[in-house]
Amino acid sequence: MMRLPKFRYLGAKSLKEALQALGSVGPEGRAVAGGTDLLPNMKRRQQQPKLLVGLRQVPELQSLSGESGGSLGLGACLTLSEIAGNAALQDDYAALSLAARAVATPALRNMGTLGGNLCLDTRCNYYCQDQEWREALGYCMKKDGSICWVAPSSPRCWAVSSCDTAPAAIALGARVRLASASGRREIDLSDLYLDDGIRYLSLEPGELVEGILLPPAQGWVSTYRKIRRRGSIDFPILSVAAALKLDGGVVEKARIVFGAVGSRPKQAKEAAAFLGGERLTAESIEEAARLAAKAARPLDNTDGGLSWRKRIAQATVVRALEEILRG
Amino acid sequence: MSIGVNVPRKDGQSKVNGQAAYVDDLSFDGMLYGVTLRSQIPHGKIRAIQFDPKFDWSSVVVVDHSDIPGQNIVTLIQRDQPFLAAQLIRHVNEPILLIAATSRKKAMEARTRIEIIVDELPSVTNLEKAATGVRLYGEDNLFKEIHIEKGDLPRGFAEADYIVERTYKTGLQEQMYIEPQGVIAVPGKDRISIYGSLQCPHYVVKALLPLLSFSHPDQVQVIQMVTGGGFGGKEEYPNLLAGHAALLAMKSECPVKMVYDRAEDILATTKRHPSIIRHKTGLKSDGTLTALAIEIDFDGGAYATLSEVVLSRGCIHAAGPYRCENIDIVGRAWATNNPPNGAFRGFGAPQTCFALERQIDLVAKTLGIDPLEVRRRNAMEPGDSTATGQVLTESVATHKCLEQAVKASDYIRKRSEYSKLLPKARIRRGIGLSLFFHGSGFTGDGENRIRGRAGLQVTPDGFIEILTSSTDIGQGTETIFAQMVAEELGIPVDLCRNAGVDTNRVPDSGPTVASRTCMIVGDLVRSAAAQLREDLIKWLAELENCNAEQITLVGGCFLLSGQRVASFQDLAKRACSEGGPASASKTYVQPEGLEWDEKTYQGQAYPVFSWGCDVAEVEIDLDTYEISVTRFTAAQDVGKAIHPVMVMGQIEGGSLQAIGYATMEEVLQKNGWIENHRMTNCLIPTALDAPAFETHIIEEPFSGGPFGAKGVGELPTDGGAPAVAAAIDHATGQRFDEIPVTPEKIELALNP
Repeated sequence: MMRLPKFRYLGAKSLKEALQALGSVGPEGRAVAGGTDLLPNMKRRQQQPKLLVGLRQVPELQSLSGESGGSLGLGACLTLSEIAGNAALQDDYAALSLAARAVATPALRNMGTLGGNLCLDTRCNYYCQDQEWREALGYCMKKDGSICWVAPSSPRCWAVSSCDTAPAAIALGARVRLASASGRREIDLSDLYLDDGIRYLSLEPGELVEGILLPPAQGWVSTYRKIRRRGSIDFPILSVAAALKLDGGVVEKARIVFGAVGSRPKQAKEAAAFLGGERLTAESIEEAARLAAKAARPLDNTDGGLSWRKRIAQATVVRALEEILRG
Repeated sequence: MSIGVNVPRKDGQSKVNGQAAYVDDLSFDGMLYGVTLRSQIPHGKIRAIQFDPKFDWSSVVVVDHSDIPGQNIVTLIQRDQPFLAAQLIRHVNEPILLIAATSRKKAMEARTRIEIIVDELPSVTNLEKAATGVRLYGEDNLFKEIHIEKGDLPRGFAEADYIVERTYKTGLQEQMYIEPQGVIAVPGKDRISIYGSLQCPHYVVKALLPLLSFSHPDQVQVIQMVTGGGFGGKEEYPNLLAGHAALLAMKSECPVKMVYDRAEDILATTKRHPSIIRHKTGLKSDGTLTALAIEIDFDGGAYATLSEVVLSRGCIHAAGPYRCENIDIVGRAWATNNPPNGAFRGFGAPQTCFALERQIDLVAKTLGIDPLEVRRRNAMEPGDSTATGQVLTESVATHKCLEQAVKASDYIRKRSEYSKLLPKARIRRGIGLSLFFHGSGFTGDGENRIRGRAGLQVTPDGFIEILTSSTDIGQGTETIFAQMVAEELGIPVDLCRNAGVDTNRVPDSGPTVASRTCMIVGDLVRSAAAQLREDLIKWLAELENCNAEQITLVGGCFLLSGQRVASFQDLAKRACSEGGPASASKTYVQPEGLEWDEKTYQGQAYPVFSWGCDVAEVEIDLDTYEISVTRFTAAQDVGKAIHPVMVMGQIEGGSLQAIGYATMEEVLQKNGWIENHRMTNCLIPTALDAPAFETHIIEEPFSGGPFGAKGVGELPTDGGAPAVAAAIDHATGQRFDEIPVTPEKIELALNP
């Protein structure tokens, strides 16, 4: 592996300082918190920012705010270990807690942050390679090239969203707060993601994720399941986040979100709509899973054989909903 | 008492506090960094090498085959592999040029400015086509063919009530030691020093003498640095790497460091041989084995390296620890255009053990009896003979291991209980077992050809320094040697220390391979200590003017008729300063009556075997096809555990490698290219993939081993894979004859 390329580093002490730096440097600047995604990517020359703006000492991004029974705000620079270890989250927002705990390894969770995981670079067998490998084959369109090696006639990049926290937080109905030098805005977290492996985030230039806002958890039950080859380290081969608002065994509202099946977290809206008003039973779970699986159409471009990845979507939804049914 | 005690590891503290110096921690003034330019085709001819004229070539040192002062041949068994390809390229990532510069970055930059123009030739990268493809080696592309015959095979099949046949396949496996390969070469006047992460320092000496046209072994000094694992991967490969660094160092007249990164290490270094193994077995309806016909094909890759001896060990172990009078084993190691394969813990036995144990399970299935019963009925006992006709006279622990593992794992109850799980259950459990053995030490009269040596030296401060070239690569050599010396002399382990491995100083104890260090070299160390004790007692008797028989050495003190006359350390100091006995050394002597015929493969293949039984339990999710090895019970016989905690570490570590081999370790190779050359996609198990281990050390002592000890290094890698595969069969109701068994393969098998 090559060493890091040269870059300047600014350790911002306030959100304002960070946003001003990012706003003025333009596309050559990147925010960095744990660096567990960005720095290895820089070593592989997948990203080559000239300025890194460090966020770890920005107090506004470390906040965890909320009141019992109300909504909960999570700052982007909370580490994944902090998220995973938070008792209130384990109880009320199980999907997010489980997802944070499923990321990589303990050491990486101690460094990696919620914001970093939400903005995780998309992955592909033809992109997640060292520079020599990519050069030998010919660079792909995601970086330095013009072709998609997965689908050579495709005008778009099919790199895969592989973060764990986004499907979970979307299933929980999270909103995301974005900040830039010119102001703030708040959108549904699902709208942060675009269906494009290259431009996979709808962030504007100079904008960064300040944090997410989880709605009141009253009545909601959620879970997160991640399929991977090993018990640790690996990115998901497939993940499913499910959140149901239950009223005496009847589903009032449902959200089912897949990770690692496309360039953005994929919501199984048809299945969610079907579950609305249904009593949660083995039969309704089976039908919901069947409908949900239609939304999971992975391509053969990440870890795991395609046939396996395709076949497990439905069963994994069943497992998630059964877990909720069991309580 | 030092034997059987878990004394602190000699290397423990420095590894924990970070003081242990690995090769990449070392630098020298004016040191350059070397990189390798490698081929990008599996087979072809080099037509031209073009150097970018815009690059300042005076700022780097470039070495090609014409710079080699001696022979461009890596000295090992055959003389087929060049240090640098001259005209012919025989595999992808074969070294062609070496470049050194003041920084690694600069050397890598220079490498991008060189173009190798080649004429590609047709290649063979598929083992199944090795016999019929392009001619690569000799008349028939065979590095080696071995034939072992016992009894009368046709008669064995004629006596059989059933005949079962099946083909088994195993894949490439990467050693994945934690520290990649690395060396530093420091040139001197008519000499060179190599500092490296390696297992076999004297192999490097032997390889570098002809390369550099040196005539005296002292001209090549090899110093082993603290080594982060080897597993066989640092047996022969460091010869090549040390040669490269030496060539750059001789030409540049500067020290040169070459340390591979993980990608280069996976792409370029040797792996476990992939195999195709065909079994045909004759059996009686009571389960007696009447005939075993086994045909073994190994993919050796482009050069012979150690393939013939890997094949040899694989063949000798192919019929397993089972009584059978009629055996026919044919083994072949083939030349292909894949990168060369080589030594990996187990050395051919994990492949043949996997095939045999799966076949024994098939025998059980054919007869409708439990796999345990077939093993109980056929397991070797003292008096039985192996495939090579070696009659087992002592230290046979098949039944002990089998019954201990079966009892500890509750195999019988679980086997029946898991079989009855409701067909509705989506998470199925399975349990399976394997019985296996592994020969300790070199094959046949190999130890006699090596004639390993070991020595002890008393230091002026009264310590005992242990001089061997056996390398501690994490397995604990330094600690157990100290324990053996301490035990023999009756002194504290702290008084014994290792001299370090420097070929200019320590004798050639033979390589650190073949499960031989504890048993063979350990016994040399122990007997040197016995010699030293005797000599010191004689000397003290002279000083005290008494009979040597009146003196004993107990608890670190010399006693004369029961009265303390000197502490060991005091007398040792005195011996050192006053010209008394201050050293001892031993050379291997072959036990009388050892007979081995290298041509017919008949006779005593190993001084003794270690034995083992593994029981694996798995959970398979029938919906997601995830495999989880939940519990692993191992009962393994090592003769005597010198350091029980480290023995358990060996057993559990080796078992986990075998579990990885069975379930996830898959080096993907296409047209001679390795496709997954990173730890992200070339997987090995993590701590969370390790099952709950229940490890039982069985001690069936061997009279020829130190304190009864046999080898433990390789045994644990033999049995894990077939036990796991058997458990997966049990859970899924499908047969898996090819490893790794991945979720993809289970998905395919369950959805035909």
